[in-house]
Amino acid sequence: MRTGKVAVAMSGGVDSAVAALLLKEQGHEGVGITMCLGVAAEEGGHTKCCGPREIEDARRVCQMLEIPHYVMDFSGDLEEYIVKPFIEEYERGRTPNPCVACNRYIKFGTLLDKVAALGIDFIATGHYAKIEGTGGRSILARSREARKDQTYFLHAVRRETLGRIRFPLADLMKDEVRQIARKHGLPVSDKQESQDICFIPDEGYGAFLRSRSIDVKPGEFVDKKGNILGRHRGVALYTMGQRARLGGWSGDPLYVLGIDARRNRVIIGEKADLMAPGLSADRVNLLVDNLPRRAIAKIRYAHRGAACRVAFDGDVLRVAFDEPQEAITPGQYVVLYDGGIVLGGGVIRETLK
Amino acid sequence: MKRIYLDHAATTPTDPEVVDAMIPYFHDRFGNPSSLHSFGREGKVAVETARRKVAAFLGAEPEEVVFTSGGTESNNMALRGVARALRDRGHHVVASSVEHHAVIEPCRDLAEEGCEITWLPVDAHGLVDPADVARAVTNRTILVSVMHGNNEIGTIQPIAEISRLVHGKGVYLHTDAVQTFGHVPFTVDEIGVDLLSLSAHKLYGPKGVGALYVRKGTRIAPLLRGGGQEGGRRASTENVPAIVGLGKAVDLAREKLAGEVAELTHLRDRFMEGLRQRVDGIRINGHPVHRLPGNVSVSFDGVEAEPLLLTLDLMGIACSGGSACSSTAVEASHVLTAIGLEPGMARGTLRFSLGRATTREDIDRVLEVLPPVVKRLRSAARKGHEERKP
Repeated sequence: MRTGKVAVAMSGGVDSAVAALLLKEQGHEGVGITMCLGVAAEEGGHTKCCGPREIEDARRVCQMLEIPHYVMDFSGDLEEYIVKPFIEEYERGRTPNPCVACNRYIKFGTLLDKVAALGIDFIATGHYAKIEGTGGRSILARSREARKDQTYFLHAVRRETLGRIRFPLADLMKDEVRQIARKHGLPVSDKQESQDICFIPDEGYGAFLRSRSIDVKPGEFVDKKGNILGRHRGVALYTMGQRARLGGWSGDPLYVLGIDARRNRVIIGEKADLMAPGLSADRVNLLVDNLPRRAIAKIRYAHRGAACRVAFDGDVLRVAFDEPQEAITPGQYVVLYDGGIVLGGGVIRETLK
Repeated sequence: MKRIYLDHAATTPTDPEVVDAMIPYFHDRFGNPSSLHSFGREGKVAVETARRKVAAFLGAEPEEVVFTSGGTESNNMALRGVARALRDRGHHVVASSVEHHAVIEPCRDLAEEGCEITWLPVDAHGLVDPADVARAVTNRTILVSVMHGNNEIGTIQPIAEISRLVHGKGVYLHTDAVQTFGHVPFTVDEIGVDLLSLSAHKLYGPKGVGALYVRKGTRIAPLLRGGGQEGGRRASTENVPAIVGLGKAVDLAREKLAGEVAELTHLRDRFMEGLRQRVDGIRINGHPVHRLPGNVSVSFDGVEAEPLLLTLDLMGIACSGGSACSSTAVEASHVLTAIGLEPGMARGTLRFSLGRATTREDIDRVLEVLPPVVKRLRSAARKGHEERKP
């Protein structure tokens, strides 16, 4: 049963509001859905998403657009698919990226299933990304707004779902999105965007992990050879490439080179030691039929992308960069591009020398 | 798209006759009933006329009716007011485990202030055993609160029997009659209560007005202090138009009650029978006989209420689920838990509540569209479950 209806995932922010507006203008029958993830801030605290304020904003936008609005509960899914694995990764000394998993398992996973069950064929979001082609031939591509492009976070969605996704902001710049919102008097046109991970409180990772009864206990900073250089505040609070501050240190700046969760150690050293020419990745999600031999790889969201050779070794993806890259971080995602096209990506397992 | 409203237990449309009766009290007769002048007297007459109507309908005296802002305030006033007035006598309240939150939450507050609360269990139909009530009452007990008709599953409690068993033990009996007032025939003497909460908007009256019946001689402290309105029991300038609306709603209920009970019971039974025949894997909740004429509570195995509700809403059919997600996680309904429904079934529960405007065609339409929707959602749920296995 194809109805042509589109569910718009609405966070209460300006991007998803404009996405809903554009769909309506294109003549689609829209249904606004706000995902309740059960992570609303404490009373008086700063709301990140799905707090009463966000839900109310989404509701007001839908009312203006005269489309139905629903709040759906995903708190159980968030815990099972995102938060639990997130904590496990941290305990292993890795730096996970929960937004990638959320897009795969929740927004374009359970939410897509839920709206499909309602007889709604498509799902739209306010992501800055683009879908090219239709149906089974759909591909994921970068948005026109390069600075805001969110394809890094979207690379892990299942390929077969691409044909059911709509990104109405694909060809818009952020400024244009705000202009459209203002022009139409959307009540969220001047809202600030939240960039933080929704379930991490303002007090930070340490507070979050402690609230989940995870030990964040101080340990030793060591150099590559294992010599003890000082004390750290807990491995979960460090990530590769981060500056490490040692009391009384007067030499060259030190950086986190690695984390040994088992021995509760943070390995630190000079910036040059952060450089590596390659990586291996597993849990690879491919969004095209065949991987070309050369690609551009992004090793974290803020990374500019670096030219590389790519090849599969069984299920493991090997990436060899033309130039060594800084702070390749196990647990983060590597995402491969061919021009504007997203080829796919995987979870960085280790750096290769 | 013709919309079908089957959520009368949440609220009812205000009857146009009620609206007409209210209108003059917004402009022509806007006086404050406490004022001495002719404008004030008009307001006073209106409020007292409505009070007589409500009292007569309940089989009570006018001075036993205190107007409030609605069912929630009436419940709060009954519990907190009695607890405060009888502080010197005891600190024990007995309540059923299927009460509305407007009873549960004040009880929790009382508990924090040192009052002991005994929560009574219910059987699989949601009935309280009057013998349990009698056993729970001690010489420290000041109040027993058992709701009359349950808002979720429709079960009507044996209040009269409870009254007989606790009568003479020196405790007050309160009942939350928000769902039954004007929907099933009773008087306060027949059911033997000292306090009774009611609301107008469940009875085709306006929102924001209700009443607490307080039997003569019942000690109760006011929640709101100020200008001494309502005989000093509830300060605040009377909401005259709304009170007039409540009076008119009672007039209409008096006319229609008998016919409506018969008609809704017939439609309800037709609906339940249709569901049983057309959808497998369901359970109809609540008591088969002692139940609200318009209530149908049904649990579907293997499907969540949320997508069901949304699908029906997109088809223009309005009903309600057992839970609501606003900003915190969904909790299973305490009522469905209390009747022993396992969590999966509880999450798949819908409440249809029929009302004055409900027709046989409405019911037949729901019976026609619901079975395929349930089937589709069940298969989607199974498929989703398999796909997400890691």
